[in-house]
Amino acid sequence: MKTAPATPKLKLTNVSKQFVAPLTGHRTLAVTGVDLEINAGEFVCVVGPSGCGKSTVLNLIAGLDTPTTGTIEMDGAPIRGPGAERGVMFQDYALMPWQTVRDNVGFGLRHGTPGRNFSPDEREARISEHVELVGLKRAEKKYPHQLSGGMRQRVALARLLANGPDVLLMDEPLGALDAQTRLILQVELLRIWGETLPREKRKTVIFITHEISEAVFLADRVVVMSNNPGSVKSVVPIDLPRPRAEAVRSHPVAEQIWGMIKDEAYRAIA
Amino acid sequence: MTTDAAPAALSGARWTGFLQAMLLPVVFVVAWQLLALTFPPESPAPSPAHVVRTFVDLVTTGGLVQATAQSLGRVVIGFLFALISGVALGALMGSSERVKDNLDPIIESFRPIAPMALLPMAILWFGTGTAPSLFIVAYAAFFPLLLNTIHAVSRVDRKLVLAGMTMGIPRSTILSRIILPAALPGVLLGARLAMGVAWTAIIAAELAVGAKSGVGGTSGGIGQMMFVFYAYSVDLNGIVVCMIVVGVVALLIDRLFRFAEHRLMPWRHR
Repeated sequence: MKTAPATPKLKLTNVSKQFVAPLTGHRTLAVTGVDLEINAGEFVCVVGPSGCGKSTVLNLIAGLDTPTTGTIEMDGAPIRGPGAERGVMFQDYALMPWQTVRDNVGFGLRHGTPGRNFSPDEREARISEHVELVGLKRAEKKYPHQLSGGMRQRVALARLLANGPDVLLMDEPLGALDAQTRLILQVELLRIWGETLPREKRKTVIFITHEISEAVFLADRVVVMSNNPGSVKSVVPIDLPRPRAEAVRSHPVAEQIWGMIKDEAYRAIA
Repeated sequence: MTTDAAPAALSGARWTGFLQAMLLPVVFVVAWQLLALTFPPESPAPSPAHVVRTFVDLVTTGGLVQATAQSLGRVVIGFLFALISGVALGALMGSSERVKDNLDPIIESFRPIAPMALLPMAILWFGTGTAPSLFIVAYAAFFPLLLNTIHAVSRVDRKLVLAGMTMGIPRSTILSRIILPAALPGVLLGARLAMGVAWTAIIAAELAVGAKSGVGGTSGGIGQMMFVFYAYSVDLNGIVVCMIVVGVVALLIDRLFRFAEHRLMPWRHR
């Protein structure tokens, strides 16, 4: 960041998104004036009240929607639609109900572009590896409706990671988990992200969450968004040491940042 | 899912349920037989005893099995025509508003025309063999398949399609691997309804075509058999046998479809 001005992984310039209701023609400004640069290997958390357009921004980066104004670039090139290099973990998981856990995890590898770099055997090995990674080996023949919310979430996480995207776009990925599993998966997620690796080997993550403490524990920077219309209120760098062990949670700096973001968050609602 | 501990009690309850269901029909048949005993011996009115005897005669020497098989064969072929065209057109109309808006008025103006109303034209066009019956069956089965496919395809969870796009899955694969499996429950429901109306239509079509082709006609099928009993031998017992066979076959078809739904959609087992 301090040396040569490398191209940011993702660059959002003056992005706004307006939705028009098809029947009434009623316009809603979901987000406005979003400027954001995210570097390769950075872990960015987005917090903010409901309806502040967090998910809208994520969808725009994913290429599932086009911004009304402004531009979104990845590696200097404008984003023109969805692609497997930007993997999405949806809030309601979007698992295929007719596929087993294993088949869901392997869906992109078997039918999409992520499978191109692997032979069929390598694909299956990679699927097994990711099913085990999220601890679902024993449930791999089950269907989504037979799983708890937390297990479905882990299937979605395994599917996202198995596809090996460059950028991970995660919409409240741990929201349905019990507190304990959530803490464990946070550490696990940092490990998978590559916390112990040099920055250039890490993936780029944009992670939406409601939990400020989760954002502080995970992120390099926290983006605080506010309501009506949705916009970026502030960006808070989290200068805590990595790898972050459980001890970091009670680190005085964490408390301090937490307080700061909380104040921002309160003001964002007000 | 049944547990292993319960089957004895369960089958007991099943037997009670079965006996309860059988009670009314048995009372009805006994009452019918008692009533028939009061008829003069030369009366043409049907009685259970005569019906059973006629049934045995028809199966052994009267070609009842062949006639039923012929009707079933026609239903299956006509149904397959409807299945292919109905699902293909339904998938198109369900996924594209524009196609749907253009074709909807045509479809909706044909739909109220009862299959039987097409018979005069079908006979004039196709003669009195198998062809007019096939035409009527395909026409009757087409609409339930088409409408249920349109509904099922247009109601596919959009999130699943978006998830497919973010996994780099090509368009054609999204159709075959996401939209069609997601729509399968609705399509199968349409298929079951279509098979029901197809079986109803074949009997009516064969009755009417039989009227045209006469006693030695080549039209065949269980419908024509009924017509011959009605118009030439005036054998009410024979007609009742045919009616019962038609009803039992309809029940078997329905059960077969439910079984197929179970096998084709294991993820829907509760």
